[in-house]
Amino acid sequence: MPDTKALRSRIKSVDSTLHLTKAMGLVASSKIRRANEAMMKGRDYSSAVNEVISQLAVSKECAKSAYMQSRSDDISRTRIIIIAGDRGLAGGYNANIFRLAAHYAGAQFIPIGKRACDRYGAEINSSEHYSSDDAAALSRKLCAEFASGDYDRLGIIHTKYVSMLTQEAVIDWLLPLSRSESTATSTSIVFEPDEISILNAVVPEYVAGILVSAIRESFASEVAARRTAMDSAGKNAGDMIDRLQLEYNRARQGAITQEITEIVAGSGV
Amino acid sequence: MNTFKLKISTPNGNIYDGAAVKLDVRGIEGELAVMAGHIPFMTAIKPGHCDILLEDGSERHARAEGGILNVAADSVTLLASSFSWAGQAGTPRQA
Repeated sequence: MPDTKALRSRIKSVDSTLHLTKAMGLVASSKIRRANEAMMKGRDYSSAVNEVISQLAVSKECAKSAYMQSRSDDISRTRIIIIAGDRGLAGGYNANIFRLAAHYAGAQFIPIGKRACDRYGAEINSSEHYSSDDAAALSRKLCAEFASGDYDRLGIIHTKYVSMLTQEAVIDWLLPLSRSESTATSTSIVFEPDEISILNAVVPEYVAGILVSAIRESFASEVAARRTAMDSAGKNAGDMIDRLQLEYNRARQGAITQEITEIVAGSGV
Repeated sequence: MNTFKLKISTPNGNIYDGAAVKLDVRGIEGELAVMAGHIPFMTAIKPGHCDILLEDGSERHARAEGGILNVAADSVTLLASSFSWAGQAGTPRQA
């Protein structure tokens, strides 16, 4: 016969899990709007910088810039910025990022977000509170080191926000710059002092812009993933409680029936 | 007075998006001002002041921490990694 006491404590523990998932789901929901707004703002800036870069990258003069030279695809000379969350319980959000990163084992990782820092053993930083000033400082450092030939390739692993329900881990290559195929640029633009100096000044801005928008987008993905995960966890917990409650009632009823049978049998009638 | 469309964009969003009469910044080659009808032009800007003369004659002062100034035929875009209006302690940090 099932143990009613064990069932009761099981129900209690599932119930407290339900409370936890509900609370986390609510916290995520409240952050969604702000995260989405920040994501949109970051996108505006990075698309504007992208436009400038693509105008510059088609010019012949810029092909000589250190940022345009592809050197080697050697994985040990590749650096990858990896953006993960600060916390778990966000469905497959962190796992997807690390699964993608596993394809690039051997590269030097630059983690952003507590989970990534834990994994790659770096100083802890938060992906939720990463400011654009921090991003600008990191980008300046990375660009200077790229230009001086410390490494050959810079990538960024982040999560793309497709919709509330779908987020996708992707890798983008930032440096060296790829020449865009479009020739739509007008040649009448005056560059002061010249294309290559502007390009060299713009690249750190470009990397910082991409970095900021990737961080904001990843954070929006994280909260969306967490809410979805918590919704379904809450539903599962509810189903589980219903099932356990049924089992408990049945066990209780069985025990009562048995007791009555025993009393009746014991009365010796 | 002739105005042009000015957009100041930072990673934390668009700081300004509207009409302006004149924009003063510190370019990589020295001080420069942009007015309506400027030829298409692109330059990097140095950290320094950034003054905007508005249509109503008032002037707004700010500080830009480096960036790119892109003057197109119909609009002017200033991309700054950090930008703060005068009298403000700094760009508000992203919460």
